Amino acid sequence: MTINDTVRRLLREPLVHFLLAGLLVFILLSGRAPDLGERRIVVDERVVAGLVGRFQDSFRRLPTKEETDGLIRDWVQDQVYYREALVLGLDQGDEVVVRRMRRKMEGMAVAEAETQTPSDAELQALIDNDPARYAEDPRISFEQLYLGADSPDTRRTAEQQLVLLRQGKSVPALPIPLPGKFSNASGADIAGQFGDEFTLGLRNLPAGQWSGPIASGLGLHLVRVTERGAAEPPKLSKVRQRVENDWRAAAAAKAQGDAYSRILKGYDVVIELPK
Amino acid sequence: MRKTITLAALLLTTTALVSGCDKLEQAVGGKAEVKNTAYPEQVFWGDTHLHTSNSVDAFGFGTRLGPEEALRFARGEEVEASTGTKAKLARPLDFLVISDHGEGIGATKALYDAPRIAITDPTMLRWYDLMHEGPEGSLKATGEMLAARANNTIPAAFNDPKKAESRIKSLWDDHMDTVERYNEPGKFTAFMGFEYTLMDRGNNMHRNVIFRDGKDRVSSIIPLDPSGELKIDKLWDFMDAYEKGTGGKVLAIPHNSNVSNGLMFMFTDPTGGPMSAEYARRRAAREPIVEITQIKGDSEAHPFMSPNDEFAGYGTSGWDQANLLGNIKTKPGDLPGSYVREALKRGLLIEARTGVNPYKFGVIGSTDSHTSLSTPEENNFFGKHSGVEPSAKRATAGFVPGVNSGRMNWQSLASGYAAVWATSNSREAIFDAMMRKEVYATTGPRMTVRVFGGWDFKAADLNGDWVKAGYARGVPMGGTLKAGGTGAPSFVISALKDPQDANLDRVQVVKGWVDAAGQSHEQVFDVIWSEMDGSRKAAGGKIPAVGDTIDLATATYQNTIGAPTLATVWSDPEFDPKQRAFYYVRVLQIPTPTWMAYDAVKYKLTLPPEIPLKHQERAYTSAIWYKPS
Repeated sequence: MTINDTVRRLLREPLVHFLLAGLLVFILLSGRAPDLGERRIVVDERVVAGLVGRFQDSFRRLPTKEETDGLIRDWVQDQVYYREALVLGLDQGDEVVVRRMRRKMEGMAVAEAETQTPSDAELQALIDNDPARYAEDPRISFEQLYLGADSPDTRRTAEQQLVLLRQGKSVPALPIPLPGKFSNASGADIAGQFGDEFTLGLRNLPAGQWSGPIASGLGLHLVRVTERGAAEPPKLSKVRQRVENDWRAAAAAKAQGDAYSRILKGYDVVIELPK
Repeated sequence: MRKTITLAALLLTTTALVSGCDKLEQAVGGKAEVKNTAYPEQVFWGDTHLHTSNSVDAFGFGTRLGPEEALRFARGEEVEASTGTKAKLARPLDFLVISDHGEGIGATKALYDAPRIAITDPTMLRWYDLMHEGPEGSLKATGEMLAARANNTIPAAFNDPKKAESRIKSLWDDHMDTVERYNEPGKFTAFMGFEYTLMDRGNNMHRNVIFRDGKDRVSSIIPLDPSGELKIDKLWDFMDAYEKGTGGKVLAIPHNSNVSNGLMFMFTDPTGGPMSAEYARRRAAREPIVEITQIKGDSEAHPFMSPNDEFAGYGTSGWDQANLLGNIKTKPGDLPGSYVREALKRGLLIEARTGVNPYKFGVIGSTDSHTSLSTPEENNFFGKHSGVEPSAKRATAGFVPGVNSGRMNWQSLASGYAAVWATSNSREAIFDAMMRKEVYATTGPRMTVRVFGGWDFKAADLNGDWVKAGYARGVPMGGTLKAGGTGAPSFVISALKDPQDANLDRVQVVKGWVDAAGQSHEQVFDVIWSEMDGSRKAAGGKIPAVGDTIDLATATYQNTIGAPTLATVWSDPEFDPKQRAFYYVRVLQIPTPTWMAYDAVKYKLTLPPEIPLKHQERAYTSAIWYKPS
C-alpha cells in the first residue's frame, strides 16, 4: 500500500468529507472579528439558581454537587450548540423554531393588552358604535293560543276563533308546554321558545286586542299583546360587564393585529405564484 | 284526615315557594337582579360538560380556544375555531359549565409552552417534540398520554400536583374570573365546575362537578385530582368538606356509563360486597343527575337488556365493545351496570333491600366537546375534539385520527343538551332544579317536554291550566308520587317540537318495576303519536313507523309527517300498588339527517354503507318514582 493509496482511500471516507467541510466553514467564519458577547458564556448565580430550581421541581429535592455540575455542563453544552447553530443558520427553515418564535411574539403583544383597563369613555364609545347590541330588548307582555301546524284548516279555525275571542268568549287551544301568558319577555326569550318568525310577527301587532294568526316554528297562534315596553337606550352602568368583556376580547385581537402590521411594514413581501 | 294533612303540607310548601320568589335574588358583584317565577315556566338550555384548551387532552388534540372563547361562543358570539373556520351557534345557550379535567389542569399547555431544555423526562420530551411537529404529531402525543394514563405510566413530573400547584392556582384563579365576568343572571348563567376523571384500568367513572356558588366560595378549593384513586369516596369527601367549609352547594354528574364496563351503576358496593344504606344515601345525595347522552355515545338503553324496545340501542354502536380507553373488552355481563335504564331498575332492587335507592337520579344530556365549542346540532357539529373539526376527511377518520382506538369518528353523536325547568336563569335556580331533578336530556333538538304524575289526572285537565294543576295535584319529572293515592297513577304529558327543528313521531312512557319475587322488569308504552287515529292505528301492540321525508342529496327533511305537539293523560294499565316502579318519558322525532349526511352534501362525499345517514333524535325525561307505602 503506497501513501497515494492511503490518501485516495481517505478521500472516499464520508467522515473526512465532513471534517473538511467543517474546516471550510471554520475558515470562512473565522474571518469575522470575534464578538465577545457571542463568544462568552457566563454561568452566573441566576443561571445556576434557575437550573437548581427546575431540578427541584422535578425531583422535589436539591441536586447533589455532582448533579449540579452535570446540570451546568449540560446547560453550557446547550448554549454552545445553540449559538453555533444560529451562526450556521440552522434555525432557518425549521418550522418548529419558526412557530415557536411567532407564538412568543404574539404572546408579548397580548400580554401588553391584558394589563390595560378601559376608561369609561372608551366603553361608552363601544356602546355608541353599536347601540343595538347593548340595548335592553323592548319587553313585551302577551297572551297566545296555539292552534296547531299551519294548514288551510287551522287558518279557518283561527279566523272563527278570532271572532269569538274578540267577543270576549273563551276558545280551546292545544295543551302545549309553553305558557299562555308572557309578561315582560325579551325578544331573545320569545325567539328561544317560538322561533324568530314569531318574534318578528309580534312586532307589528296592535296592543290590547286579539289578532293573528301569527306563524311560529310550531304552527299558528292567536295573540293578544297586552303591554309593549319602549326600547331603552343602553346605559353603561347596566351593561358595563358585557361591554368590558367585548373590549377585552377586541383589545387582545387588536394588539396582535397591530403588532403584526407594524412589523409587517418593515418587510417587502413578494408573492411569486407559478404561472 | 290524611288528605287534610297532605293539603296542609302542600299549602305550607307553596307559601314557602311564594315568599321565596318575592325576594329578589341579588347576585354577587352588584349584577342584575333576577326575579324568580312562582313555579318553573321555562326550560333553560345548556351544556354541563365542555372542555377548553385547559384540559390536558383537549390541548393535545389541538384546541387552542380557552374558557373566554367558550363562553363567548355559548352566548352566541362568532369565534374562530382552532382549525381556523368561523363558528357560531344558530341559537345561544342559556347556561354553560366549563368542566376542564381537574387532573393536570393546564399541564399539556404548560408542557407545550415550557422551554425544551427544562424538560428532563424522556417521555415528556417526546410528547413535547411531537406536539411541536404539528397537528398530527399532537394527536399522536395525546393518544400516547391517554394510553399512559390507562397504564399508569404518566411521568410523575407531568402531573405532579405539588409541582403544579402554583400553575393550577393561578390558572384556576384566572378561570374563575373569566366565568364571573360572563355570568349574567337573568340572561346567561356561567357555572364554576370541573371534571373529576376517575378511572379504574381505563374503565370510565368520570364525574362533572358543578358549584352553585361564585368565586367568593369556590376560590376556597382547586379542582380535585383523581390520580391514584379507584373509588369515588374521595370526591364525595371533597364535596362534603366544601359545603361544610363554605356553606355553599355542589353536585356531581356521572357520565359515559356506557364505557365503564359495568362500574358506573354497580349492583354491589365498589368492593363487591352488598351495598350499604349509608353508601346508597351518599350516592343519591351527591349525584342527583346523570348525563345520559353525549358525543361519546348514548347510555339510555341497550338491546341486550331491552330486546323488546325497537328504539333501544341509539348511539351505542362502537361504544359497547370496550371500556373508555379501549384496553379492556366489554363482556355482556358488564352491560347492565353501564346503562341508565338498568341502573334505575337496580336502584329499585337495592331500595327494596336497604330502604334507600342509590340510583334515584334525573337525566341530562351534554356534549363533552373538547373544542371549546358546544355544538350538538347535526348541521353545525364541530366534533369531539379539534382533530375532527369540520373537514372532508372526518366522517371516515378514526375517533382519534392516527391513533387506533378501535372506534370511528362517525360513531360520534352530535349530542346533547341539558334542559332545565327552573324559576329563573340564574346559578341558584338552575342548580336547585338539578338537585330536585326537574331536568331532561335531548340528543340536540330543543323539544319542550313536561310531565306530571299524580293520582287523579284526567284527559279533561288538558283543557284547563294543566301546568298549575300538575304542580298542585301532582309532582313534576324527578319527583316521587305522593303517598296515599288510590287507583293507578296518571301522568299529564305534553311534548312540543323544537320551533326550528323536526316534528315529533311519538311519545313513550318507559316503566320499570320490581315484582314480588324480587325480579326487575321494564316495558315501553307508546302513549301518543302522530296520526294515531288515522294512518297509524296501532296493530298487534306496535304502531306503524312514522315514515321518512329525508332527501340525502340535499340533507333536508320535510315536516309533512309527524306532529308539532303531542299531549295526553296516560294512566298505567298494569299498575300494582305493591310494586315499586319508575316512569320516564321518551320523545322521538321524525327521521332527520345525521351530521355525516350533512358532511356528505357539504364536501360531496360518497360514504361507505356502514355510516348511518338517518336517525331519530330524542328526548329522555327524568323519571317519576312510585314507592309502596
